Amino acid sequence: MNLLLLFISAAIVNNFVLTYFLGICPFVGVSKKVSSAVSMGLAVMFVMTITAAVTWLIYHLLLVPYHIEILEYVSFILVIASLVQLVEMFIKKVSKPLYDTLGIFLPLITTNCAILGLALFSVLREYSFVESLVFGIGAGAGFTLALVIMAGIREELELSNIPKPFRGAGITMIVAGSLALAFMGFAGLISM
Amino acid sequence: MAKKPIPLSKEFLKGLWDDNPVLRMLLGLCPTLAVTNSAINGLAMGLATTFVLISSSIIISLLRKVIPHQVRIAGYIVIIATFVTVADKFLAAYLPEISIALGPYVPLIVVNCLILGRQEAFSSKNGVGRSIIDGLGMGLGFIFVLVILGSIREILGSATLFNMQILGDWFNPWMIMILPPGAFLTLGLLIGLGNWVNERKVKI
Amino acid sequence: MNKTAKMIIVLTVITALSGAVLSSWDSVTKPKIEYHQLQALKAAISDVLPSYDNYAVQDISGNKVYIGQIDGNSQPAGIAFKVAGSGFQGKISIMVGVDPNFASITGIKVLEQIETPGLGTKIVVDPSNKTNPFWFPEQFNGVVLSPQIDVVKNSIPQNSNEVQAISGATITSKAVVRIINDNIQQIKESYQSAN
Repeated sequence: MNLLLLFISAAIVNNFVLTYFLGICPFVGVSKKVSSAVSMGLAVMFVMTITAAVTWLIYHLLLVPYHIEILEYVSFILVIASLVQLVEMFIKKVSKPLYDTLGIFLPLITTNCAILGLALFSVLREYSFVESLVFGIGAGAGFTLALVIMAGIREELELSNIPKPFRGAGITMIVAGSLALAFMGFAGLISM
Repeated sequence: MAKKPIPLSKEFLKGLWDDNPVLRMLLGLCPTLAVTNSAINGLAMGLATTFVLISSSIIISLLRKVIPHQVRIAGYIVIIATFVTVADKFLAAYLPEISIALGPYVPLIVVNCLILGRQEAFSSKNGVGRSIIDGLGMGLGFIFVLVILGSIREILGSATLFNMQILGDWFNPWMIMILPPGAFLTLGLLIGLGNWVNERKVKI
Repeated sequence: MNKTAKMIIVLTVITALSGAVLSSWDSVTKPKIEYHQLQALKAAISDVLPSYDNYAVQDISGNKVYIGQIDGNSQPAGIAFKVAGSGFQGKISIMVGVDPNFASITGIKVLEQIETPGLGTKIVVDPSNKTNPFWFPEQFNGVVLSPQIDVVKNSIPQNSNEVQAISGATITSKAVVRIINDNIQQIKESYQSAN
């Protein structure tokens, strides 16, 4: 399958957040400022790419040959948890201010459905190693895109008068709905 | 720590409204949006999640003095992932249509922040009995929101409820309700509604 | 006990127990899951082929074909196989049945699709057509495969190799036809050289 099309599909046409509802929790929590959205998005993209590679290797080189596919979910989530732990330690060492900005949301990347979802979809769709990698990068890019757009919109909304019950999560969901609607326009972009 | 113990009934009820996992605590949003295109799907997902929640809570509560603090998250995750695999394979083996309808969102119960959240906040610090009650309350609160969301989307999007036609041919279904935008919009409105009702409750 | 040792031991025990629970659960559920998959496959094959007594599975160049056989008859009732490709929204997978000479289609069944609900999904079933909700797949019955299947819009097909697109879902309709056209030649050649 054409890798570029795969990337565009994962990032835009079938955006992980707006089409598959993956990665919503941080979507609501971190999308208040564009700068934190960008940092979070890049961190997730990084974890996603490595997760795509490692889970593919584990599934095809360990689980399948030994017929222990039943351990798919347990092994995948352990991989993700360890990767996030490593990324956390790395960021803490390299850039303490970034570490403080992301705060609690960094370890929460472990429970980001987008990452586990990526690994599971890769297996379901029987992607090759390279396809998984491109899929991971594309999905991460799409997640970052959705997050940054949402942050941009929310920054503007800070100045408007939103009815009290809708402040916070309520309005975020409604904005997400409009974004999802807009992104539906991309359907058919990559079919020939 | 001599705190007056919270009565079990309160422990149970909090999950239904005050601390409703979806509407108030914003946990478990991914499956909430993805599988609530019909009432029955919402119900099935809610039940599967509740099963995982209660089973994990029981085991983790039993092992709470055994699991060292530093590796507790890894430990909880393995236990949760095990029960999710059990639930997923159970559905695939005994309820295949539901398994197909819920698709990859069943394994995603593993990363449902609701479950990990309850283990961290409650089961690791309370006895088995209380943990079961907490899990039941939270689970029911979760099921409640999923079924309502699923019903709204199904009625407006397919003119059916639990697969039974309830709106006549005069109603042209709002296709958007079954699609992602409809999910986000409905959830946003429900959250807003929940907040609004809560404000008035507090005033009273 | 050494803190690190305790951490390692506890985690190892938990993981080992998890592995044990899951492998026993696997042996309980796996046969049932495979049974359901087999039933679905059988249903798909019988939906696209004329009646047969049993079917044989043949692996040709990585593709599986299902040959519907009639007892006492060396000529098969038809050949069924899966094809897949990209539709409007995502992957579409179709079970196609052809006569033994690959001259015409005996039936198709859409297995997987994530097309637009209410429009593209009409390739599976069209509730708005009260006379025949399955009009789209059924029009493939008897469609001639040479030179290839063509799609017509907004008019009744005149030729034996034409099918009508769903109005409002042209891209999805064309995708179904394209997926069949693209794959059928290769499968025909592989099958005929293997038999």
